[in-house]
Amino acid sequence: MSTEIVSSEKEIQNTDPRIKLIAAKMKKENYKADALIEILHTAQNAYGYLPMNILKFITKELKLPPSRVYSTVSFYHFFSLKSKGEHTCLVCTGTACYVKGALGLLDEIEHKFSLKPGQVSADNKLGVQVARCIGACGLAPAVVLDDEVHGKLTNEMITDSINAKIK
Amino acid sequence: MQNITIYIDDKKLEVESGKTILEVCRNNNIEILTMCHLEGVLDVGACRLCLVEIEGVNKLLSACTTKVAANMVIRTSTERIKRYQRITTELLFAERNHMCSVCVANGKCELQNLGYKVEMDSIRYPRLFPQCEVDTSHSWYVLDHNRCIMCTRCVRVCSEVEGAFNWSVKNRGYQVRIISDFNTPWGESTTCTSCGKCLHACPTGALWPKAIVQGQLDKKPEIIEELMAKRKMGL
Amino acid sequence: MNRNDLKVISEKAKEKHKKYKHKICVCCGAGCISSGSEGVLLKLQKEIVERGLQNEVEVIPTGCMGPCNQGPLVKYLPENTIYQKVDCENISQIVQSQIVEKKPIEDLLLFSDFHPKPFINAHDDPFFKKQLKIALKDCGDINPEEVEDYLAYDGYLALGKVLFQMSPEDVIAEIKHSRLRGRGGAGFPTGLKWETVYKYVSEEKYVICNGDEGDPGAFMDRSVLEGNPHRVIEGMAIAGYAVGANKGFAYIRGEYPLAIKRFEQAIKQAKKNGLLGNKILGSEFSFDIEVRIGAGAFVCGEETALIASIEGKRGTPKPRPPFPAESGLRGKPTLINNVETFASIVPILNNGGEWYSEIGTPKSAGTKVFALAGKINYSGLIEVPMGTSLREIVFELGGGIQGGGEFKAAQTGGPSGGCIPAKHLDVKMDYESLMSLGSIMGSGGLIVMDEKSDMVDVARYFMEFCMDESCGKCVPCRVGTKMMHDLLQKIYDGKGTSIDLERLEELAIYVKETSLCGLGASAPNPLQSTLRHFREEYESKIEQDID
Ligand SMILES: Cc1cc2nc3c(=O)[nH]c(=O)nc-3n(C[C@H](O)[C@H](O)[C@H](O)COP(=O)(O)O)c2cc1C
Ligand code: SF4
Ligand code: SF4
Ligand code: FES
Ligand code: FES
Repeated sequence: MSTEIVSSEKEIQNTDPRIKLIAAKMKKENYKADALIEILHTAQNAYGYLPMNILKFITKELKLPPSRVYSTVSFYHFFSLKSKGEHTCLVCTGTACYVKGALGLLDEIEHKFSLKPGQVSADNKLGVQVARCIGACGLAPAVVLDDEVHGKLTNEMITDSINAKIK
Repeated sequence: MQNITIYIDDKKLEVESGKTILEVCRNNNIEILTMCHLEGVLDVGACRLCLVEIEGVNKLLSACTTKVAANMVIRTSTERIKRYQRITTELLFAERNHMCSVCVANGKCELQNLGYKVEMDSIRYPRLFPQCEVDTSHSWYVLDHNRCIMCTRCVRVCSEVEGAFNWSVKNRGYQVRIISDFNTPWGESTTCTSCGKCLHACPTGALWPKAIVQGQLDKKPEIIEELMAKRKMGL
Repeated sequence: MNRNDLKVISEKAKEKHKKYKHKICVCCGAGCISSGSEGVLLKLQKEIVERGLQNEVEVIPTGCMGPCNQGPLVKYLPENTIYQKVDCENISQIVQSQIVEKKPIEDLLLFSDFHPKPFINAHDDPFFKKQLKIALKDCGDINPEEVEDYLAYDGYLALGKVLFQMSPEDVIAEIKHSRLRGRGGAGFPTGLKWETVYKYVSEEKYVICNGDEGDPGAFMDRSVLEGNPHRVIEGMAIAGYAVGANKGFAYIRGEYPLAIKRFEQAIKQAKKNGLLGNKILGSEFSFDIEVRIGAGAFVCGEETALIASIEGKRGTPKPRPPFPAESGLRGKPTLINNVETFASIVPILNNGGEWYSEIGTPKSAGTKVFALAGKINYSGLIEVPMGTSLREIVFELGGGIQGGGEFKAAQTGGPSGGCIPAKHLDVKMDYESLMSLGSIMGSGGLIVMDEKSDMVDVARYFMEFCMDESCGKCVPCRVGTKMMHDLLQKIYDGKGTSIDLERLEELAIYVKETSLCGLGASAPNPLQSTLRHFREEYESKIEQDID
């Protein structure tokens, strides 16, 4: 098993510039176990999720037990072990958005794109997620499309906005 | 260490400061129910069975993690505490799939024993019947998540005593599970030394050796304490 | 920079502003940005240059002005005229009319879609008139991305005063005198907390700013961090001096990228100007702040879980005692306060503890920021003296119920709080009064519900939240919230029995009293408070099952 890690790691180092970003972050944080979450943020941002070989790479560099890393990753909702899709639509289901019809938006998305929260389309173009309050309650119901907040949405608007993204 | 006076269930005691309420009670033959506590490893206060009432404190505190203080007035077996111990026990039984009659630990199980102690005659809450795996990938041992109560005694023994760090916990809330390495099969672990300490630490039929016959499980949680005591003495 | 330079720079910055005749602020809080205010800002800046007005008119981006629902907002000073829902097409009209012709545009005035006669000076509107901004002061007037702007508003003068004229004991005495209580939820007296940390002897101590703000429905801390980050930094540095810590951490919710960006930028600027780092302002005191980004776990707002998270671990709480004040981050004495608590420190030191203690009610001094959301006309952010009644907040500041519906309940304190029904609309918003109604102040989220809301669903919703967010460490919360959720779902689906209701009530008390941390201990609150005030809704759902 250990040989497998090494070879996959070489592979990524050779082909993937994102790995340099993560390596630089680890160096900056002095390979401290304390900084695990910061480093995971960097990796998650670079890849959109945490590929297993990247997790193994981080684990090895920080000299941490695998179980310590996996348990931390699986605790936090920000970290995902699966690809979330090229474009993401994050529907807020916080209280204010719930009261103002977030579930309607989710129904509409399911109806139009056949995706439920947590699912990614077959072509990996679009992933749908839910969040508990993104702090844009004044604009309820709100969604985050990629990194932009869209507020006061109607069912029609959400379909249009998503289509504009994935086109 | 300095001696202080405390009162437990109306009994006046002279005790060493710096000790936990649990240690003091055990030294004085006052029964405290515990599940996540294991002699020899650090306490986490997770099972909430050892809760006690302390005069002047408006919360119940876990005896295993709270240190005695001068003039503390402690109650360990009020009606309220007994009621809560029973609910905790019922919830533990309802959470996963505990079929004692077909369990390897039947008759040797701390959870079963707890059921008797709190006089649990039925479980009043709906059983959750979660889908749980049984990991038989290790050559000698089995981890059956159906019987696990998430006390994390195995996790602590593995890290604090054996230093192997094979075990940890994944997810959160009611979806927590014990994991080996990267949530990979135990048999593929790169860290497990197959020392078998977790089997002894485990209070239930969740961890057991393949080489046993049903009902003949022999767990010795006390070996952990003995080991740590020896280690402290430099043996 | 040393202390005298500070005064000079502050004066200079003031001079610089004085040379402009007009000032236009464009709200660039997260709310207004998402309705497009950044485009408005760019267009406005361009328009001013094109008309050659750049020496007369100052245009700046600011933090949240309050009425987020009406954004993008553009404020014209000194008249304090606010235009709402501004888009790029309106810009030239605004410049022409407001700057050149000096005539306000009626149709664009704030709240013109609600009032037949909107106010030209926005501060005449009850939304602003009834507010008293202390923690939010300057937020919405200054550019959060420029330290000079903060200095022009007397920024860092309090820190200078503390470092050179006050001992740590003096600072603590002043905070105690102010009777400030922690704004993170529990309302613990801040001065007392500082004193406790101060008294522990240790080489190393830490100050942590809790910006996790996980309550759904709350966005106060976000606005402070985005709108006036230097205020929080200054408060943290003062706290560091008072308790004897040289290192601070700001734990900010990962969902708040703008707050993180502005806060990190502010730290850099402060360091560059000698307002953070080694020997601050030439004194003997050194203090540094690092940002830690949350990763999506509500329980990490709990202080021991937050510490575990800063240490890079699963955010599971630990039993207290020992409290972080004694043994916190890396086992060292640690002071943890909320963002809004830190934002209140500077005004207290500038105006004196006495001044602050006289605002609000006898037991709850000062002001509180609330985030208004739900079925209310003016959703947004307000700051009012403690003790303001719920009725005033909803019907005067908040402009009443959206869509002309009827007020049914207000939810405060999020998943740890409760509902206040219509018959208690006159309740004074302070720690004790809310507690006596079975709710809590919490961090300040206030969600208004109208007659269409189903209170069993509300309870179910919050229980689901707690169930999902439980860390899973202790039995009562891990299993209890799941059980309570399932029972609530059953009742909501019309399949519950009176026995289920009985079990639910018993579990609620049990989980509350036995859980390890505050998440479990307060998870039953929404359930218990809806049962207390709206029991008939539960009963109507189970009636048919009673044989
Ligand atoms: C589950 C849970 C979540 C919490 N979330 C927050 C939070 O998001 N922000 C916050 O400031 N305090 C939060 N608190 C309260 C903190 O534990 C702590 O009391 C507070 O930060 C202390 O600051 P203060 O004294 O200034 O209020 C939370 C507590 C619990 C139990
Ligand atoms: S496997 Fe056994 S020791 Fe480990 S957590 Fe489960 S019940 Fe406890
Ligand atoms: S009360 Fe809930 S969140 Fe808190 S320690 Fe227990 S399981 Fe974790
Ligand atoms: S033995 Fe103390 S909480 Fe489990
Ligand atoms: S974000 Fe602009 S008013 Fe709140």
